[in-house]
Amino acid sequence: MSAATRRLWTYRMLFILLCLTVISLKLMPMNVGETGIPGPDILLALTLAWLLRQPAVVPVGAILLVFLLADFLLQRPPGLWTLLVLLASESLRSRRLTMTEFPFLLEWSAFAAAVFALLILNRIAMWVLMVDQATLGLTLTHGIVTIAIYPLVVAVSKFLLGLRKLGAAEPEAI
Amino acid sequence: MARDRSDESYARPVRRLLLTVVMLCLIALVLLWRIDNPRVERMRAAIVDRVVPNMEWVMAPVAGAARMLGDFQSYTRLYEQNDRLREELQQLRAWREAALQLEQENARLLDLNRVHLNPELTFVTGIVMADSGSPFRRSVLINVGGRDGILNGWATMDGLGLVGRISGVGEQMSRVLLVTDSNSRVPVTVQPSGQLALLMGDNSPTPVLDFLEAPEDISAGDRIVTSGDGGLFPPGLLLGQVVMTTDGRIRARLSADLNRISFLRVMRSHPGTTLDDPGGLIGPPWPLPQSGDEPAPPATSEAIDGATLLEATE
Repeated sequence: MSAATRRLWTYRMLFILLCLTVISLKLMPMNVGETGIPGPDILLALTLAWLLRQPAVVPVGAILLVFLLADFLLQRPPGLWTLLVLLASESLRSRRLTMTEFPFLLEWSAFAAAVFALLILNRIAMWVLMVDQATLGLTLTHGIVTIAIYPLVVAVSKFLLGLRKLGAAEPEAI
Repeated sequence: MARDRSDESYARPVRRLLLTVVMLCLIALVLLWRIDNPRVERMRAAIVDRVVPNMEWVMAPVAGAARMLGDFQSYTRLYEQNDRLREELQQLRAWREAALQLEQENARLLDLNRVHLNPELTFVTGIVMADSGSPFRRSVLINVGGRDGILNGWATMDGLGLVGRISGVGEQMSRVLLVTDSNSRVPVTVQPSGQLALLMGDNSPTPVLDFLEAPEDISAGDRIVTSGDGGLFPPGLLLGQVVMTTDGRIRARLSADLNRISFLRVMRSHPGTTLDDPGGLIGPPWPLPQSGDEPAPPATSEAIDGATLLEATE
């Protein structure tokens, strides 16, 4: 039992550590003048991929911490993206039991649907709040790139970090 | 196991309640950001101030390695670069001669005119610590802040041209909004024709030049400098050159090399004149003349002009 608990906490720490690394990599002053394809939202892919595999390692507190920090550091409207990600993660968490039997392609499309729903909701919220927005094309590219990175994130977490998918019969929280 | 389940039975509503509270707090935060922007941005500056210096030990080696890789790639083009640099050096020698002569002439003329250049335009140099991390926003964080006397709105340059302005000051860090950001608007003058315009960033590397009076008088290669309108930037800072794009828009190629900014100069500029006293500038002279239909005597209007001039120079 204690070994399982230790494993769980190791993964939780690993999650937060990975997210902090991603944020600091994004903040690195290397591509200041560059334009073109916006980078993928690795944070979102990582969070949702881990959530669908083992929901206990991505608690609400960790999501809140990581995304709020990202909102503040990446000069986004603070709280908005965090709120949307929390909503998406909760809805996926409640649907996880039906999704455990899905093949990977179906899971991927569920992720894609979530990403687009998030981006559209974000745009609507920004529109309602009358915040200056990026162009629609840039946002769509951002979404597509994020969806394209998802299999890679899943592969890394499965084969490199050994995060396997919990079956429906297995206990959710250890 | 049974105890776990009973735990679950009341843990779930509690969890849901907590989640709702958290979400409401987040909504409140967004609304607060929208309503009282400066306060939340100060909060953001404080958070950046706390977090980013700690990240430095992670970021420094990786950024250094990436720079080294870039430099290594440039070794392959070393020979052609060397040749080109020699040619440029030759040309620059000629320019240097011209510049020296002009400088002497300029000094003589300034002496004749008894012009005092603004002594308050000194600068503080900072190192770029982090960028905004997304193509949707163009800003960088530099390692000078409130403790170095940085104020919001000050112009920021690299060695050559204007890069942006300070927007957000923390204790040790401050944020520079680049002129290419879609929120950036800079009042400029286009040099040979002397037309006023606005340089509007649109997240592309070449900002748009808009609100021109006579676009047909502008040609590619004209110099763009800040005009100093609005009192935000000191006048005469170099921004770049006019380029015409294929879609017929007039854009600016920046003199500052935004791809490789590592050091920035924050220009210490004195506060611009503010219009906190509208009565002295616009409207009838005070006190109002007794008979309403009589026009104001010219002496009064001159006095007012003098007063505003005095205000402007102070």
